[in-house]
Amino acid sequence: MEVLRLQNLQKSFGSVRALKNASLTLREGEVVALLGDNGAGKSTLIKAISGVFPIDRGDIYVRGEKVSIRSTRDAMDLGIETIHQDTSLAPDLSIARNLFLGREPVNFGWLGVFAPLDLAKLRKAASELLKRVGISKKLDADALVSTLSGGERQSIAISRAMQFAAKVIILDEPTNNLGVEETHGVLRFVKEVRDAGHSVLLITHNIHHVFQVADRIVVMRRGEIVAEQTVADTDLLTVESIITGADMSALLKEARAR
Amino acid sequence: MVHSVMTIAAEDDAPRVKGRSSLLRSPQFSSFIILVVLLAVFAVADANFLSPLNISNMMAFLPELGIIALGMTLLLTAGEFDLSVGAVFGLAPVLVMLLVQNGGWDIGVALLAGLLLCIAIGAINGLIVTKIGISSFLVTLSMLLVVRGAALYITQGFPLKSWDQPGFFVTLLAGSFNVGSFRFYTSLWWFIGLSLFAIYILRYAKLGNWISAIGSNRNAAVARGVPADAVKIWLFIATSVLAGLAGMISAFRISAASPVAGTGYELEVIAMVVVGGTALTGGRGTILGTIVGALMLRAIRNGIVLIGVPGLAYNIFVGLIILAMLILHALLQKNAARS
Ligand SMILES: Nc1ncnc2c1ncn2[C@@H]1O[C@H](COP(=O)(O)OP(=O)(O)OP(=O)(O)O)[C@@H](O)[C@H]1O
Ligand SMILES: [Mg+2]
Repeated sequence: MEVLRLQNLQKSFGSVRALKNASLTLREGEVVALLGDNGAGKSTLIKAISGVFPIDRGDIYVRGEKVSIRSTRDAMDLGIETIHQDTSLAPDLSIARNLFLGREPVNFGWLGVFAPLDLAKLRKAASELLKRVGISKKLDADALVSTLSGGERQSIAISRAMQFAAKVIILDEPTNNLGVEETHGVLRFVKEVRDAGHSVLLITHNIHHVFQVADRIVVMRRGEIVAEQTVADTDLLTVESIITGADMSALLKEARAR
Repeated sequence: MVHSVMTIAAEDDAPRVKGRSSLLRSPQFSSFIILVVLLAVFAVADANFLSPLNISNMMAFLPELGIIALGMTLLLTAGEFDLSVGAVFGLAPVLVMLLVQNGGWDIGVALLAGLLLCIAIGAINGLIVTKIGISSFLVTLSMLLVVRGAALYITQGFPLKSWDQPGFFVTLLAGSFNVGSFRFYTSLWWFIGLSLFAIYILRYAKLGNWISAIGSNRNAAVARGVPADAVKIWLFIATSVLAGLAGMISAFRISAASPVAGTGYELEVIAMVVVGGTALTGGRGTILGTIVGALMLRAIRNGIVLIGVPGLAYNIFVGLIILAMLILHALLQKNAARS
């Protein structure tokens, strides 16, 4: 079942055409890896889906229905949760406050932004969530995020995406700067999230990770989608050459000439 | 696997212990201790320091800068600041008095016009900072010049006699009452009421969560659907309105509106806020700290006069004490990060 479909998305920053006719489909319960060199347009693509900025042209469908995503709030309401490359957490806030940022439980909701936070509920929900992702014993929901390690922060960001039962979870280089153990933790999370029925769009520069967790591979180059393959039908070398744009036949010719 | 990664110690009572020690180590608490020490030193050095007359004097001045400092604290927590508050403090009463004295306006209507002026100045600051993306330092510095210049121009540089007939508005903003041998102004109630409201906003309301998040990591807040620009614009407006309110209070109290009133207040207010422990870089703000900071700067300015520091040397002391406070905060911060 198709969850998210992008059709001919275009986006320019001044004269830089960051996205040219990018199309992509994401099905229920699958992990799609989005690959491509630096500046290929991966982050731009997912920022467009998550409402960070509007697209210039193109259509987005969620569960077959055409939608317009004008703000990050729109994307969240459609069940699209994104963990951005640049950190997604506010370091000076507690874990609990970060988990519910933008969706705070409040009393007297009619007071709008002046409504008091339901701190008891906030803390309880936060520790339940931390328990669910298996880190309750170690982390205090009231601890400031600035006191956490990179891996812990990443786990918090991912569990936040999970908690709102998002249909689509987008991870932009979630294993950047992480140690070996933390990296495996994140990859395990990705599998768990998929097994729980969510769809995952994973951006990474580490092709080994892709082969560990992804079902499908989509490669971008200079704002365009240049290849789409199931993991079972391809191998590391092929993917690498597609990413760099090296023409295989040319390479072979070169090798033979030598 | 993630279990083995998380390394934070986890005794069952960890949160409670942590809560207590973090209060003791919090910046507003260390500021509070210093305040107590300062008060004690001044009290010992000069017996008049704690006399009813002197305390009444301090309490009369305190709200005027303190009220502005509340708005500035919220603004700084959201990662912006406003250098035009001193100028707004001067312009608002000058405009109101001109409308009343030269324009023949009713005082109530003139006050409303003053309020609208403050809202407009704050909105312009906020819109330029958020929508055009110029740093608040540059925008509000320019605004300071425009607003101060306007105050000087419309008065031709002369101070105006303020509204001195007793009436509803004067009582509301600058009425006074006696408690024993102490004389307090209604402005103190304004300060207390607004302080409680600001504490509520920053610590307990949804809005406060947003303000801290915006100052801490704006992109993260926006990615969660927090309307960062709107929040900042409203904070600029609130700060401007509070500066205008403080200006009116002051003008009513001394029965004069001077176009140069409030000169240098912007820095004094920012000093109060950061001395209290609010981070200049955003994300971490404390209203309690700001109240302590406001009391401290007031007490220092008052105390050094009493203990006989020569007038021209005041600022040396004020500057040194502020510097010492900031160094203390920085050291505590470092310590907390290490432990
Ligand atoms: N806000 C922006 N303003 C101007 N140009 C931008 C902006 N964001 C991205 N670009 C440009 O768009 C192109 C695509 O950038 P993008 O961030 O999508 O790359 P990426 O594939 O995520 O790269 P990386 O792997 O390094 O994260 C780049 O040329 C970049 O310079
Ligand atoms: Mg990127």
